Amino acid sequence: MTASTPQEFPAEAHAALSDETLKVALRRLKTHFALGRQLAFTRYGDMEALREQGRAIRDYALSRLDSLLESFERQVKSRGGQVHWARDAKEARDIILKILRETGAKTVTKGKSMVSEEIALNPFLEANGMHPVETDLGEYIIQLRKEPPSHIIAPAFHLSKEQVAETFRESHTELDPRRSLEERTTLVLEARRMLRAQFEAADAGITGANFLSAEEGAAVIVTNEGNGDLTRLLPKTHIVLTGIEKVVADLDDVSVLLRLLTRSATGQDISSYVTVMLGPRNAKEADGPENFHIVLLDNGRSRLIGTEAEDVLRCIRCAACLNHCPIYGAVGGHSYGATYSGPIGAALNPNLLGVSAARHHTNASTFCGRCAEVCPVKIPLPKIMRYWRAREYASGLAPKAMTFGLGLWAFAAKRPALYRFFSATVAWTLRKLGGKKGHVHALPIMNGWFAVRDFPAPQGKSFHHLWAHRK
Amino acid sequence: MSARDEILSAIRTRRVKNAPRPARYAPPPPESDLVKQFADRARRTAAEVQILNDLSDVPAAVADILRGKNMEAAIHLPPHSPFAALDWKTAPGLSLESKSPGPDDAALALVPFGIAETGTLVNPARDSAPASWHFRPGLEIAVIHTRDILPHMENVFARIKQSGALPHTINFVSGPSRTGDIEQTLELGAHGPKALAILIVEEA
Repeated sequence: MTASTPQEFPAEAHAALSDETLKVALRRLKTHFALGRQLAFTRYGDMEALREQGRAIRDYALSRLDSLLESFERQVKSRGGQVHWARDAKEARDIILKILRETGAKTVTKGKSMVSEEIALNPFLEANGMHPVETDLGEYIIQLRKEPPSHIIAPAFHLSKEQVAETFRESHTELDPRRSLEERTTLVLEARRMLRAQFEAADAGITGANFLSAEEGAAVIVTNEGNGDLTRLLPKTHIVLTGIEKVVADLDDVSVLLRLLTRSATGQDISSYVTVMLGPRNAKEADGPENFHIVLLDNGRSRLIGTEAEDVLRCIRCAACLNHCPIYGAVGGHSYGATYSGPIGAALNPNLLGVSAARHHTNASTFCGRCAEVCPVKIPLPKIMRYWRAREYASGLAPKAMTFGLGLWAFAAKRPALYRFFSATVAWTLRKLGGKKGHVHALPIMNGWFAVRDFPAPQGKSFHHLWAHRK
Repeated sequence: MSARDEILSAIRTRRVKNAPRPARYAPPPPESDLVKQFADRARRTAAEVQILNDLSDVPAAVADILRGKNMEAAIHLPPHSPFAALDWKTAPGLSLESKSPGPDDAALALVPFGIAETGTLVNPARDSAPASWHFRPGLEIAVIHTRDILPHMENVFARIKQSGALPHTINFVSGPSRTGDIEQTLELGAHGPKALAILIVEEA
């Protein structure tokens, strides 16, 4: 399948609505992730205090991002690691390729990393003669299928086990074609066996980082499979690729954020593995990477600082907002045609891809506010989407009909007598059209809106009228 | 300007917020019996937990676990493992292996810290405990002393920092390896151990 573009969102979303396999998968998000999160929060106790602490920790870090990054860099270097800075995706890709070439690497195992998707690292490495192998089971499956991830933490959740079995049968041609692949367990064990060989053979490993700690110079990842660790520990070179916004003050702050992350993401009190990575191994140690590199990516993050959208930098990529979003829950991740989907995608993409390219993402919202309610670091996602919508309007990118309509409304709204006359007339007309049932089914030039909705006809008197009477 | 300087200067120029450092977080108070809390939380992560009276009971317990899982009577000990000094004759027929464990082998580890809040084992990498050994085997058997079980992750970080130079890696392990990547349904043993057995040794 070829990946769609953000501009194609309306058509892709429409098509997704009639995808039966996707529907089953999206329903499972509610019964698995959303319910799991709720149970984990109940078990914990005072989640509100924990969320508030998480917000404060991230806000503190973002307001000292420069000095925390400098401290992080100093600490990593003091233990023999190297820190690289990349202004954009291209710089990050070039830095990584250079490290791989200098260490003579060919086969590269990869832990799950959304930043790696953001900079489209795999196609670039392949074009340059490298052999990148995704090792997170979900990422491995979609790499074999040449699909982008459809969810931040569950990249292949949209597939059925039958589809996975088909993919394995087509890809693992060295195995007996008559083997049974009916059970999930069999599929997991087959991936375990195939990938273990890759781990052993890899020259370099690339992972992301969930957090960086400034005081200790640590990069921290969470995984459930242990793939991130085999990626870090077995090859000679380990490269961590992550965004500059991931740094916090120290490992105590990381401890607090971990409590929020795993509960919000999968409903676990803690993930099976949390790994604190501090540097290369010393000469007498039996394992661990000899070379340790950190690539810090900006790619538009710093330009959000000081804007009304800067709170989005607090994000810890748990995907709770996706799991609770009525839009994402109906159309899934692929419809967005972008690395980040759902509410967090709608908040990040205008900055990453441009206000114009991502305009459908910010407009695809009911503003129900569930995303902000479940966000572990209290990002006001609807507010940020409104900010991007305002930017879209201000730069004249909004559709002509919408600009014209809003202009007309603004003209009337500034003239109270005119406004009252028009609203009374419109209300009267709609009431007549609504008839006995009180619902309007169609209006001229508004076919698009009425195609999927009815409009309740205004009942009774206007607010102005009632106000004047009560006084 | 270098990329580094340009990024740092962009951050400095744009910044308007000055958020205060929040007060230290107080995690939920630990239960009165830390060992019981640890064992209970570890079982929730699908680890098997046993309590032993003495370190000398470890060989027999290891043999029992392997037998119970129909695994080969062999246990991998890393070079310089403190367990090499145990009397393994108490577990007849059990062979000791020193090479790196494969995906169906069993390995034994001495774990220096545990976290009661989550039933987590904490393994700082060191000569006698290579980090990859927590991920290579099919079964990890982890031994921990009751005195090393601390309430929270924060307590463990404080202890590791006190002990001097930081290791290259600290691995926090809570239960066996797992994945929910196929139909969001939990399966154990994705890449790391398919099973984790914890032997808690009580202080004499």
